[in-house]
Amino acid sequence: MLTFYTNDTVLILEQDQLEEDIAEFIKGQIDPIRFKAIRVAHGVYEQRQRDTYMIRIRCAAGGITPRQLKKTAELADAYGSGEVHFTTRQEVQVHDVLIENIMNVIRGLNEVELSSRGGGGNTIRNILTSADSGVDPEDVFDVDPYAIELTTRLINEPDSWNLPRKFKIAFSNNSKDTAYTQATCLGYVAEIRNGQKGFRVYCAGGMGAKPMVGHLLLEWIPDTQAYHVARALKVMFDKNGNRRSKFSNRIKFLWKKLEQDEFVRLFKLEFDPIKDDASLNLVLPDLKNEAKSSNLAKNPAQGDDYELWEKRFVFDQKQAGLKSVKVPLRLGDLLREDADSLCDFLAEMGENNIRCDRAQNMRLRNIPEAYLGNLYHIIKNMKQSLVQYPPFLSNMINCTGAQTCKLGICLPRGLSDAICERLGKSDLRLDEISDFKVNMSGCPNTCGMHHVADLGFFGKIGRKEAEIYPSYNVMAGAHVGQDGLMLYAQRVDEIPSKHVPDFLYDFLSVWIEDKKDYAGNYQKFLDEKGKDLIKTLCEKYRFVPTYEEDPEMFHDWGRDRRMTMDDMGTAECSAGMFDMIDVDKKQIEEMIKTIETVENKKETLYKIIFHSSRMLLVTRGLESKTETQAIELFAKHFVTAGLVNDRFQDVLTLAKLDLKDELLKHQALILDLGQTVVDLYKNMDDSLRFKTEKTEEIPGQNGPVVKDFRGVQCPMNFVKTKLALETLKSGDKLEVLLDNGEPIENVPNSIAQEGHKVLHKNKQAEGHWSVLIEKV
Amino acid sequence: MNLTENQIERYSRHIILQDIGGVGQEKILNSKVLIIGTGGLGAPAALYLAAAGVGTIGLVDGDVVDISNLQRQVIHFTPDIGVLKVESAKAKINQINPDVIVKTYAEFFTADNALVILKDYDFVIDGTDNFPAKFLINDACVMAKKPFSHGGILRFAGQTLTHTPGHACYRCVFNSPPPANAVPTCSQAGVLGAIAGMLGTIQAAEALKFITGVGELLVDRMLIFDAKSMNFRTVKLKKNPSCPLCGDTPKITSLIDYEQAVCDLKKG
Repeated sequence: MLTFYTNDTVLILEQDQLEEDIAEFIKGQIDPIRFKAIRVAHGVYEQRQRDTYMIRIRCAAGGITPRQLKKTAELADAYGSGEVHFTTRQEVQVHDVLIENIMNVIRGLNEVELSSRGGGGNTIRNILTSADSGVDPEDVFDVDPYAIELTTRLINEPDSWNLPRKFKIAFSNNSKDTAYTQATCLGYVAEIRNGQKGFRVYCAGGMGAKPMVGHLLLEWIPDTQAYHVARALKVMFDKNGNRRSKFSNRIKFLWKKLEQDEFVRLFKLEFDPIKDDASLNLVLPDLKNEAKSSNLAKNPAQGDDYELWEKRFVFDQKQAGLKSVKVPLRLGDLLREDADSLCDFLAEMGENNIRCDRAQNMRLRNIPEAYLGNLYHIIKNMKQSLVQYPPFLSNMINCTGAQTCKLGICLPRGLSDAICERLGKSDLRLDEISDFKVNMSGCPNTCGMHHVADLGFFGKIGRKEAEIYPSYNVMAGAHVGQDGLMLYAQRVDEIPSKHVPDFLYDFLSVWIEDKKDYAGNYQKFLDEKGKDLIKTLCEKYRFVPTYEEDPEMFHDWGRDRRMTMDDMGTAECSAGMFDMIDVDKKQIEEMIKTIETVENKKETLYKIIFHSSRMLLVTRGLESKTETQAIELFAKHFVTAGLVNDRFQDVLTLAKLDLKDELLKHQALILDLGQTVVDLYKNMDDSLRFKTEKTEEIPGQNGPVVKDFRGVQCPMNFVKTKLALETLKSGDKLEVLLDNGEPIENVPNSIAQEGHKVLHKNKQAEGHWSVLIEKV
Repeated sequence: MNLTENQIERYSRHIILQDIGGVGQEKILNSKVLIIGTGGLGAPAALYLAAAGVGTIGLVDGDVVDISNLQRQVIHFTPDIGVLKVESAKAKINQINPDVIVKTYAEFFTADNALVILKDYDFVIDGTDNFPAKFLINDACVMAKKPFSHGGILRFAGQTLTHTPGHACYRCVFNSPPPANAVPTCSQAGVLGAIAGMLGTIQAAEALKFITGVGELLVDRMLIFDAKSMNFRTVKLKKNPSCPLCGDTPKITSLIDYEQAVCDLKKG
């Protein structure tokens, strides 16, 4: 049976842990912030409504089979809103799931080999492709098999699950770049050279509040190296990415920080050693674009309406006799009953026949021409779709906005409906601008892809004296594909939300009239006339009355009450490590401060030990299920590993054995432990490395003190060596680990100049040096 | 060791010095230096001591910044005109090094407040511009057994000595202040701005040497230089048995505010 990726058993078994965590969270035994980090990695996001969740399901290459989609709709009906939601990232979501039903959905998805693992969190996100790859007559070659196999390979590598931030990958089937490879972390564009399939590779692009256009990383690679590039970039990102700042940790920021030469150098450091290793080549699935023979009775259709539908939504495939069909969804939502009728029909035609596209529509493929009539009747009878409207309207993209998203300012879904209402029933000849892209986001984040729109809108708070009203920034000027260089849309002006439909009507009526004069060149139109037109129209609609004069202006589309920011929250997807660390850190600091006044001092001391133990476990990819386990893991990975002095070992043991009365005798040491861990965190660098020394063993019995100064630059390595020597007595020995090059050339000489004896310098297998020093 | 990672980097060039190291830097961080007068000498001294990480710096000055100060008192900037000198200096020190605690005394150093202000400090820098103050500082430091650095500049010349308890004091050399107006002050005779920096930084270096115990202080010696010829020389001094303050039979047993011409108090 066809699937678009395969989860290893380990990933399925992790669901048991999630189930336990959910149970504990319900009982109040897990802090909401910790729970967030746990569930988000399973693709479970809290909606704007408290205790209501949405579950994001991976669809590599945007692919899902009829069997899988039908099951998803069934689960959505049983445990969610009754709709499957198609997202702008070519995957599907189930909305409005109560906490007690999360596992029912996730377990149910297992039955059809679908998974929400990695729907969120700092990992490999859904890998996107051009929605018509494989059937597009303009295919250079089909890129879907690469996305499918790369997904399976990457999600089953343990080191993919704790990256500095999310990692997005896309493949375009030709230079039109419909997968937006320059707006993603890693993008491949199909290109054949000398008869060999291969890719141009872009990286470090991204939209979001700080959009950056991607850079050409590799001029061309043979297709056999697709995995090698992804692996190298992943490892390079893992090692060098900024884990400290939630807001600047995507790959695009790493490029900005390192600049091209250093970024490419670090990438090549990972890529060159593996690039010719053929054992790593992807083993591509044989993904066929064909229809199976069916006994289904044909149900032909004809007439004007059928012809209009065919003209608007049916496309030729490169496979003779097969058609691809766009199913225009309202706001990306597919009702369960509509999913049933579609999937039952599609299952008769084969398995490889559904894709999600970025405009939140369904793309059907491999439909035999003879069965188009059957499909027409099914789609026409859908309870909810935009099939009655010109494709322009269903091609509009909107994020979910303030309806479910905690970050949303405006409600693009409401706006989208309002535009359908205003334009769909107007005299505008929308069929002449089917490809025109109007994209809307509820906030400056780019889920609604406003940066790559012909007209983009993103929500902002408008202010009329002390009152706030929903408003949008207007963006224009994006340029995607064709000649390789991508440009993002720029902000031109702003307009109150309530006036956007009228604004669009005015603007589009001019563009539709002028399109011929400009030979369809929208860029030229914008430069010569369009941008001024936007400004003029924004001016026309700028006036906002007071609330008393017109309360309507203060209600966003699709909402019956005034705009309010009260229920906004912080971003779900970046949930993470630092929020979790902060929970413990605040506890430790508070308890240290109030230790003399607390009622139950021994319990508080125990809690300090527990929080100190747990606080930094996450930086090592460790998780503790119990307090005792946290203490054990800390003792092993921090004390034994030499990150924390082993004088704390005794109190850790007492706490582990639950000898709380004993703790009272060690109050100073326990407070010291808390402070030590907090200080250790302060000294952590962007890559979660602690700058502190490896160990502080007592010299003499245990051999020399060892200090690891690898990665420490000159002269700081000398400074630290000197400081380490100061803590020793004359005649004690110190072993320092130093990098090759400048450090090993300088530090031992400087130390000798101070009179200390350098006993030996040994080069280690890994390339660094061990230097043994005797204090004078 | 209590140095933070940040401090290790900030003070790395001190720590590298064989004589200072982490131990010496910790002494600096734990030290308290009082700077009396936040003018030509006090300004560079305060800047360098702040940068060095002196834990607490006390600033005594009752004056406000005047435009004529800016030619040499480099801790004050043009927008500071009219601002209390101690406040202007404190703001700069905070920017140089947030590790430093600055205590300000917006008053002149007098016989009444001298011993109270002195008592919390390890070392004192005399950055004043008049003889009565210099004698008062000397007397107060000797009585309170505080080491201090004396400094004076005029036109192109400067002189400085360091006193530590048991060694020659300023009065061992100069018995008492000259009569008012017998010696011109900077405001009357002028001073090359740069020599304020030369002498103030020598005083800062003496303070740091004292704190860290490195090298030989200008004790029982006076350094005199002339910037015109750029000749530096040191004159040996001896503790004077007939010194009215620290001699065998001291005559001065309490602090004295000598008279000072009013215009000098204003113009510094």
